[in-house]
Amino acid sequence: MSSPAPTLDVRTSQPRLRLVDRIADPSERVLALLLLAPAALFLGLIVVYPIARLIYNSFFDLRMSGGQSAPFVAFENYALALTDKIFWNALWNTVLVTIITVIGALLVGLGLALLANLPYRIRWPVRLALLLPWAMPLAFAGLIFAWFFNTDYGVINDWVTRLGFTPLQWLLQPGTAFAAVCIAIIWKSSSFIGLILLAGLQMIPRSLYEAAEVDGATRFQQFREVTLPLLVPSIVVALIFRTITALQTFDIPYTMTKGGPAHATETLAMLIHSTTIDYGDIGYGSTLAVLMFIVSMAVTAVYLRRLQRD
Amino acid sequence: MNKRLRFVIVVTAWLAVAALPLAHAETVLHVFAGGPQQRTDLTRKMFDEYEKRNPGVKVTLESGGATSELQRQYLSTVLGAKDSTLDVLILDIINPAQYYAAGWIEPLDQYLGVKDAKSYMSQYLPAYATADVIDGKIVALPDFADSMFLYYRKDLLDKYGVKPPTTWDDLATVSQKIQQGEKRPNLQGLSFQGAPIEGAVCTFLLPYWSQGKDYQAGIKLDKPAAVRGLDMWLGMVDKGVAKKNIAEVKTGDTVNEFMAGDVIFAINWGFAWDLFQTDPHTKVKGAVGVAKLPAMRGGQSATCIGGWQWSVSAFSKNKAEAAKLVKFLSSPEVSKYLAVNGSLLPVYANVYSDKDVLKANPWYGLALPVVESAKSRPVTSRYAEVSDVVRTQTSAALARVNKPEATVDEIDSRLSRVMR
Repeated sequence: MSSPAPTLDVRTSQPRLRLVDRIADPSERVLALLLLAPAALFLGLIVVYPIARLIYNSFFDLRMSGGQSAPFVAFENYALALTDKIFWNALWNTVLVTIITVIGALLVGLGLALLANLPYRIRWPVRLALLLPWAMPLAFAGLIFAWFFNTDYGVINDWVTRLGFTPLQWLLQPGTAFAAVCIAIIWKSSSFIGLILLAGLQMIPRSLYEAAEVDGATRFQQFREVTLPLLVPSIVVALIFRTITALQTFDIPYTMTKGGPAHATETLAMLIHSTTIDYGDIGYGSTLAVLMFIVSMAVTAVYLRRLQRD
Repeated sequence: MNKRLRFVIVVTAWLAVAALPLAHAETVLHVFAGGPQQRTDLTRKMFDEYEKRNPGVKVTLESGGATSELQRQYLSTVLGAKDSTLDVLILDIINPAQYYAAGWIEPLDQYLGVKDAKSYMSQYLPAYATADVIDGKIVALPDFADSMFLYYRKDLLDKYGVKPPTTWDDLATVSQKIQQGEKRPNLQGLSFQGAPIEGAVCTFLLPYWSQGKDYQAGIKLDKPAAVRGLDMWLGMVDKGVAKKNIAEVKTGDTVNEFMAGDVIFAINWGFAWDLFQTDPHTKVKGAVGVAKLPAMRGGQSATCIGGWQWSVSAFSKNKAEAAKLVKFLSSPEVSKYLAVNGSLLPVYANVYSDKDVLKANPWYGLALPVVESAKSRPVTSRYAEVSDVVRTQTSAALARVNKPEATVDEIDSRLSRVMR
């Protein structure tokens, strides 16, 4: 096969290749595009299409029980959501849960990591204990804690009674139900944060502590001046993971209280679930999901900016 | 071996393996048969009987969902995805309207060879004829009937020389008398369902209906009557008749606590009788009486109609076979079997007076008129929403999170568009 005579491009002095030649004998740039194409298509199908469909659905009054009709309602669903006090309640609960459990899990996780970092003769039982809560499925953790907090048969009320106090109806009052849910979430997620922080702690060289001790630093000063500053990257990583997951809190409140006494422990994810799966109201559910997406993006943007600054 | 021959061998082997399922001429029907309260163990025995009579058909049973609304959520996911893995489904009485509107269940008229739906359904109790016929088409066939009764400890009432109460006030008085006499701190006077489960909708509506009111699409909620109903339940808690954490009690909890001998009066469904008599853990065998539910002051006794139906999934690949199975499951023979072995109320009026059935369930004499006059929860294609609002608000009111007036206002305003 004879090679085709290249035509001369008048704008540049480079000979212009025909498309066939571009693919048969690609340059590095074209090769890169070709190799990325399947992955991009895959990503588009799995990520972009559902989100686009979600936004599309939010403009219609689409219900499972509505049969085939799905009237176009433009922004009516959004207006409904923004004036719906159940939505604001769920949003507030989500924000509250995020703040409480992220800070709580960080503190507990840090304590666990410091404990796990002590020089033990046999290390694996400690690591295992740290790993188990994280390995347990969320729904199991929720159901177990629901039994712990059960008024009649729960372990917590058993201890409370033995210590001489009156037992509380934990899951029946909004305040205590919310506290119970937060306790369960902190228990579950602190082990994950503990693992990340443990990895960070292990990377701090012993020589720094020895040097600090030589300089006369107390244990607390060592912690403040050596441990914490060098742990900051791990803390940031743990915070990002924990915050994004906390915004999506669903499993534990769902299995513990189903949204608690009159929506007291209902998070955004639970509201979306009940609207879409229980009511079959796909249009409104999509609207709520889009709003939750916006909130998540906003939080992620804050973290990303923080990371970029580093 | 050359390349071509190898290619042919591989492809033929692959095709042979792929065609294997087709060589099996058996029809397999997958049935979602509910949870423990639908007695899936008895259903399995019925399936075994059907398989014996219909060689070439295998029936697999899938169970799940501890409560009605959990089953509804599960089926919403499966049917919403147009999944064809389920052929036959069990539905609570409140669901056929919603499921038919969503296009999830298949009308059975053509498979049953029925021209006049009304006359075919007249063999069943009227409530089920109404629930299972939508737009003039038969969308489900009844499995067993159900309604709520007042179970009581015959032995305790006899000991204190009192008769079963006919009003809620009476019940509170009788209860307090017995509780004071027995001096057991964990003896509950009355157990009913306050948890935010489907049954809580009935808890809300029982005293409401008792005052002669109704709640359906197009009928406005009578707020003072609804408030009086909630006040009645809260009064039971205040008098120490019902336990303080009544908002945690589900159907199964009432059954377990009554079975353990810790409850004098229990509000529950028909299936509970069999458990009280035959469950290995029961401590109340032979000491249980059944009565109509008490009435509100100046009102009539009213109860909630329940009951379960079989329907064919619109996405099933074996609709004709599935319809045949459904017809078998709602036959008088199966109805009698379920009544004798599980105290599941029959859907045929004449089965109530069958002597074998009466031997197993001596109280069925009073059961038939109760079931025939039982009232229906709101019939609407958006029932899931109605149920969610009523049950969560009622449970919150029973937990004293909101006052009854605020609760009723909330229910009314949230459902005003749905119940128009």
